[in-house]
Amino acid sequence: MTLPPTARRLAARRRIQAGLALCLGAAALAACAGSADPEEPAGGDGDEQTVTFRSWSPIEQTTRQMIDSFTEANPDVTIDATIFNYPEYVVDLQTRASSGTMPDIIGLQPGALTQQYREKLMPLEQCAADTWGDDWESRFHPVGLEQARMGNPDGDEHYYALPLLVQTVNLWANSELLDAAGIEPPATWDDLKAAVATLGDAGDAAPFLLPAKDAWLRNVVFLQIANNLEPGRVYQAENGEVPWTDPRIVEAFDYWSRLFTEGIAQDGALALDSYPNGVNQFEAGNAAMIPLGAWWIQQSDPSKTEIAPLSEGMSGYEPFLFPTLPGGAPESQLVGGIDVALGISADAADPDLACEVLTDWIAGDGGQVLINTFNDLPAVTGLNPEEFTSDKQEQIWNQLTQDWMPKVQWSRYFESPEIDTAVADALAGVAAGQLTPQQAAESVQAVQDQQG
Amino acid sequence: MTASTSLVPAARNTRAAGAGPRRPARRFTRERLVALGFIAPAVVLFATFVVYPIVFNVQSSLLDWDGVSAGTPVGLDNYRDLFADPTFHTTLRNSAFWIVLTIVPQAALGFALAWLLNTRLRGRTVYRTLFFLPAVLSPVVVGIVWQRLLDPFNGVLAQLGRATGIDLLTRSYLSDPSTAIFAVIVVNVWMWTGFSMLFYLAGLQLVDHSVVEAARIDGATGWQLIRRIVLPLLKPTHLALLLLGIIGSLKTFELVWVLTEGGPNHASELMPTYLFKQAFQLQSFGYGATIAVVLLVVAVGSSLAMLRTFGSGFITGDRS
Repeated sequence: MTLPPTARRLAARRRIQAGLALCLGAAALAACAGSADPEEPAGGDGDEQTVTFRSWSPIEQTTRQMIDSFTEANPDVTIDATIFNYPEYVVDLQTRASSGTMPDIIGLQPGALTQQYREKLMPLEQCAADTWGDDWESRFHPVGLEQARMGNPDGDEHYYALPLLVQTVNLWANSELLDAAGIEPPATWDDLKAAVATLGDAGDAAPFLLPAKDAWLRNVVFLQIANNLEPGRVYQAENGEVPWTDPRIVEAFDYWSRLFTEGIAQDGALALDSYPNGVNQFEAGNAAMIPLGAWWIQQSDPSKTEIAPLSEGMSGYEPFLFPTLPGGAPESQLVGGIDVALGISADAADPDLACEVLTDWIAGDGGQVLINTFNDLPAVTGLNPEEFTSDKQEQIWNQLTQDWMPKVQWSRYFESPEIDTAVADALAGVAAGQLTPQQAAESVQAVQDQQG
Repeated sequence: MTASTSLVPAARNTRAAGAGPRRPARRFTRERLVALGFIAPAVVLFATFVVYPIVFNVQSSLLDWDGVSAGTPVGLDNYRDLFADPTFHTTLRNSAFWIVLTIVPQAALGFALAWLLNTRLRGRTVYRTLFFLPAVLSPVVVGIVWQRLLDPFNGVLAQLGRATGIDLLTRSYLSDPSTAIFAVIVVNVWMWTGFSMLFYLAGLQLVDHSVVEAARIDGATGWQLIRRIVLPLLKPTHLALLLLGIIGSLKTFELVWVLTEGGPNHASELMPTYLFKQAFQLQSFGYGATIAVVLLVVAVGSSLAMLRTFGSGFITGDRS
């Protein structure tokens, strides 16, 4: 059948109008679907409860095991977790916080990150007391609790985050290379220089691999130097009690500089990142010493499918502290703190359930699963892996958790992100030869002055 | 489209005749409504995903804001601070280096490769694929691989340098503030030359062979042919690459982030890396938004300048 032109136009227009109506209808339906309560389980089962979790740590595989542990005991609970790389995580968290879609439980670093979200987090003392009793604080390493409240306004004693994992920052030695060269991990600055000279002559491995591209690593090495030289002085500078140009702090910048000028660090240290390149080199046996932290024990996690020969039961490694410095503290100082803390959103759909999950992961069955992977050191005392794969692994674990962690006095973090960045920039400037130690200290002081 | 264009004159004719003026006007309105209905989704998407973020950014740039808590209005203070910020000056200088030192070499190398691979070379498809391959790789992968290659302690180039005695290969390019940005630019040129090659290959295949043949008959040699005939005929390709190059240079992030994180000590900082650090690491979202606004103005300004200079038809080759 052939329609006249006007009728064809009318028919075409009707088809267009019908199409538009269909599109609008579909859009409306989609909008209705999209407006469903996100807390409502998709299956429509009213008994099922969902807790959302986002963080950069623990790693995804371990988080999955912790979730399985909790949901096996609580089958009506679903935990929706997403683990990001840290840079992506802070973007995601900031976007969610400003759009009112914060997850129930979030991973936090102490200080600036926790403080940024403080107003959107619920205080956790009641949750902790309900789970562990009124003396719950005694279960935690003191430095973890201290850092959990770092940066709180005066008079605010609340805990907006509780530590999940803690750590020391220290050096690791490849014990095979050191044994072959007939040397011990250096205890003093002179020992370090002698060890670097000996190891440099002994083979192609870097005596002291410094992945100084990472701002965080520059800062933790500097904090070890500064605290070994004058314990606590840098924190006094951050608090404005002494200037950053204090001679002892300038001297700490100078020791940092000497890592480069005296050939202790490898060539091109400022271009080497710790992950993945630095640790790959160390695990491959291409370096004798590297500054990292207690978390390096995770390389020997027995649940990993592939473990490098040096990492099998930690057979090839030995932890040691940054050497003492001439005229400094008689013993190496322990620097460390929180690896990752957990907080609960003030708008959590079910705060009690979120509290159950959080406390389970810190010190319950989920925590046990986490620690079994040697991910880092537990924030609570007395939680140990159920199985060790070697005596050496157990000995290192005990050294880290019993000998070192309880004695950690100095924080691996600065409170202010501006100072953190200023120190990292100053250290890069010194390492690159752009700044003298005095100029580096002055540049940090200038940032502090700007902050008022 | 045909219905619409034919109906409008018809309606005008009817009105001119003075018969039934109301009905055609209503049909005209309906036509417009239908047209608006078709345009509306695009307008809504544009407003939501382009206009709103720009407005939001401009608004944020006027605040002292950490991105989470309530912001404090500070007027134009962020702009004043930004223009006095030495690191921002470094990002501008680096952007200028980046634009000049990536676009020109990429175009020159891309054209040379395209010219060679536009001949009857055996295995040219394989070569084309190989040269284009870096452009489809993730910048993160490229960054990690080149970081290993350029590592002066244990990298491939350093080992080659030590084995051959060529000291130039053992230098620490990424960790030296005076060379870091240029090292990243070299990697970028390596990555994107294949992209320029592809553009020039397409352009060369559109060149009128009769013009080339006529030039040859008139005695044009190889270099004369390229300089006086082929390169002028490829003007739309040059301009398209120039525009894409400028915009691409201004929004480069991943490669710099993986290779140097903008360091050492901001020596290889670009506007996007500095923006990220300010907004998400230093919690100065307002200041980061200020950098974003300036970046937007520079990108739009340079694009408009190109359009103004060369006309909107330069990409399509429409000379009118």
